[in-house]
Amino acid sequence: MTQPAFAARVDRALADPDLKRAIERTTGTARSKRAAAVAAWPDFAAARELGRDIKDHVTANLDHYLLTFERNATAAGAIVHWARTAQEACDIVVGICKAAGAASVTRAKSMLGEEIGLPHALADAGIERVETDLAEHIIQLAGDPPSHIVWPALHKTREQVAALFRAHHHDPGALATVAAMVASARRELRRRFMAADVGISGANFLIADTGAVCTVTNEGNAELTTTPPRVHIVTAGIEKLVPSTAHAMSLLRLLVRSATGAEVTQYTTFHCGPRRPGDADGPTAFHIVLVDNGRSRMLAEGLAEMLRCLRCGACLNHCVVFRQIGGHAYGGTYPGPMGAVLTPVLDGLAGTQDLPHACTLNGQCQEVCPVAIPLPTLLRGWRERSWREGLEPGVVRGSLFAWRFLVLRPALYRPATALALRVMRLFARRGWIARMPLAGGWTRHRDLPSPARQTFMAQLRQRRPSA
Amino acid sequence: MSDKVPEGPRVGLFVTCLVDTMRPPIGFAAIALLEAAGCRVEVPRRQTCCGQPALNSGDRAGAVRVAQHTIELLASYPHVVVPSGSCAATIRLHYPTLFDAGTAWHRRATDLAERTHELLSYLVDVRQWLPAGVALNARATYHDSCSGLRELGIAAQPRRLLAAVAGLSLARLEGADTCCGFGGTFCVKYPAISDAIVSEKAQAIEATGADLLLGGDLGCLMNMAGKLHRRGAAVRAFHTAEVLAGMADGPAIGDGA
Amino acid sequence: MSDARSTILTAIRATLRPDRAAADPAAIAAAAAGLLLRVPPLRPDRVRGAAAEAFLARVASPAVGASAERIVSLAGLPDAVRRYLAAHDLAASIALQPHPELCALDWSGIATHPRIDLDEPVAVGLALGGIAETGSLVFHSGPTAPTLFAFLPLHHIVAVAAERIWPWLEDYAAALATLPVPRNVNLVTGPSGTTDIEGTLVRGAHGPGHLHVVLVDPAYHPPASDAA
Repeated sequence: MTQPAFAARVDRALADPDLKRAIERTTGTARSKRAAAVAAWPDFAAARELGRDIKDHVTANLDHYLLTFERNATAAGAIVHWARTAQEACDIVVGICKAAGAASVTRAKSMLGEEIGLPHALADAGIERVETDLAEHIIQLAGDPPSHIVWPALHKTREQVAALFRAHHHDPGALATVAAMVASARRELRRRFMAADVGISGANFLIADTGAVCTVTNEGNAELTTTPPRVHIVTAGIEKLVPSTAHAMSLLRLLVRSATGAEVTQYTTFHCGPRRPGDADGPTAFHIVLVDNGRSRMLAEGLAEMLRCLRCGACLNHCVVFRQIGGHAYGGTYPGPMGAVLTPVLDGLAGTQDLPHACTLNGQCQEVCPVAIPLPTLLRGWRERSWREGLEPGVVRGSLFAWRFLVLRPALYRPATALALRVMRLFARRGWIARMPLAGGWTRHRDLPSPARQTFMAQLRQRRPSA
Repeated sequence: MSDKVPEGPRVGLFVTCLVDTMRPPIGFAAIALLEAAGCRVEVPRRQTCCGQPALNSGDRAGAVRVAQHTIELLASYPHVVVPSGSCAATIRLHYPTLFDAGTAWHRRATDLAERTHELLSYLVDVRQWLPAGVALNARATYHDSCSGLRELGIAAQPRRLLAAVAGLSLARLEGADTCCGFGGTFCVKYPAISDAIVSEKAQAIEATGADLLLGGDLGCLMNMAGKLHRRGAAVRAFHTAEVLAGMADGPAIGDGA
Repeated sequence: MSDARSTILTAIRATLRPDRAAADPAAIAAAAAGLLLRVPPLRPDRVRGAAAEAFLARVASPAVGASAERIVSLAGLPDAVRRYLAAHDLAASIALQPHPELCALDWSGIATHPRIDLDEPVAVGLALGGIAETGSLVFHSGPTAPTLFAFLPLHHIVAVAAERIWPWLEDYAAALATLPVPRNVNLVTGPSGTTDIEGTLVRGAHGPGHLHVVLVDPAYHPPASDAA
């Protein structure tokens, strides 16, 4: 029923007790801090509606805002590029690096960079890539893909991080505490910031009326990545636009509280063009690559609400499935509920159709989403498409057809259910069924209560023949 | 307050396929409660299933056919009551999305949606009814099933009803609003993930020290009760309606009916 | 490249404007402005009373994690720096942001240098302003305000004028609209930090580990014991 690759990733994740512990340590903290931040803001619900409306306003006028942004960014001295696909985006970035004669690039965490496969593209071009975000640094050392959109190294325990730093850092020290690990990474990466030819970062917001690129970060690595090199390249999805700085502020309040429970990040930065005449520092060339990669298709194909997504990660932190299987099991760049909506867009539904199905539709993701994306509805949309395109296995289709046949024919449904109850009761011992053919999905892990001797409807006919 | 109210509304009880086959006492409890709240209860004989299996599997055409069957079945009742948050939410929220706006079927679906209520919220919000003279000496804990909680906003009503049961105390369940891992077809399609989720839920239930697990959705209750039983826990599970109808002295879910 | 641009715009317009009507910039601007009218009543209840007071309280709160003090005039900054260096057992050598107002102060007893080092222990700077709601310092890059000053030092001591404290994030955004937009705007809220390992907060990631804010407030009346 399940795609073998997905099943294998899930089994691997569920068998890893370190992973479970690591996920719970980070997401547990994130959930309680978010809850406190939301509780401290009585008008959060109204602010969330405003956030939703700001994003929907941009989506409804996306062409206008893209052109406005391009005009203002260009006026500020930025060079704006457009990329239809991940490949085009990587080609543009690699092309800029090569034209700059870059041997080494530093990179500040950007999920879009991961989405378009930029790490691989740089490696294929023979350009050294230094990840400067602490989590990205950890997973670069480990050779892992990110497992969470806010905490890419969420799957690593402190013990595993210490082992990695001991093996790779020049001056790791004792590494007895998380603080010592952070200090070791600071020492290790310090020199690398100044040696880079190109710095690459992402965007949380593109400010249409100034042409600025807004990023929110905490570590300070982003400015150390984007300021010293000669060239700064921003890759950004076309959905990141906001009308003005003031609009960005409303979304910032929602984004940061939802992501970490803080009110703002330590650094909220607006990059606007390259170094100005007389400036003391900053890159001499500033490139912005606007990436579509399926977004205009989402707009056309009923997924416009997903273009609101701020990438805060709250839906991951609150998802019962993510909390059990972690990010890697999803097999795409984006895990959790938002990833289950996005991955079929990016990688195609055939082969990823498990993602929208591996969800209990409990709705907590939508409840915590700071821009009220109806994630369960969008996942249902993928399920319908998977059904229409014939991607669901024959056994599921067959049993649902048989079920429907009976459900629409009460005169057959009654004797059929009566028979089913009699058969099921053959397997019951003292009220419980521990094993039964065709029920392994249930009984492998839990007991099944024995059904009633007679259905409710049959009992009712005896008690109230006329009702 | 629970005295017979004459000339109450005519209510169609949609008992749900799970209650019909797995736990009939919930259906009889629902009838008893509705009658106590002054309703004239009728049980339409041609009812089967609300269509969730098709709806949640992406089989829209199948869901439409089953919805049409149910819409016709329930067309004449001023109120329709369902002893399940998820089945009530299917009728209230999802049926209207199955039909194009402006069509006759969309009008009929919307009309049914407006008349349909989950049982516990109906008793409190519509009938303003609380049980009187019901006693149960037990310590219980309550799980909020997700559809009822998030799609229908049911959280306070079952607790108000249970607070009126003499001798019953409610222990707070850590993560009461977190999914139990049932998810309809999810639990058999992805059994290992579902098991990991319900295992944590079972631990949380056991940690309350409660004798009884209560809820408003039989699917979730069967999932949790089945895990608790497999773990050898002594916690017994009932639908809230059974407690309110004074039927919790009988066998619990799985205790041999 | 221009091919990609027209493909993307065409695809978007095919969905948004199937009737091929042009976007109406005036109507869009009016709708965008209308959204902002909803902001003031729903902001978190952060700023009560004077903005400078709220700012100071926020800066020193555990959530922001900086330290703060208040002086009457900028001329008092070197003394504040001296006290800070002594209290933290730091050498009397600082990177001084090359801002004329800072350079004009009497730094006797402290060695100052205008360039910032990769492992600079202490830098002293001047912020353009601050935001009370969040306890953020605002830096605009420019000839006398290198961006790296806020990121390379381990200790960052920043003076900010009380009359440049904006109550809310939107007030700063409105002020920005009247200023030349610099290459780089940084809203700095506390010392750098990370929660990347098991969600544990550690201060001092790649940026400063300590942030000390010196509010310059001519209306401030220091208690007698502080006056010395």
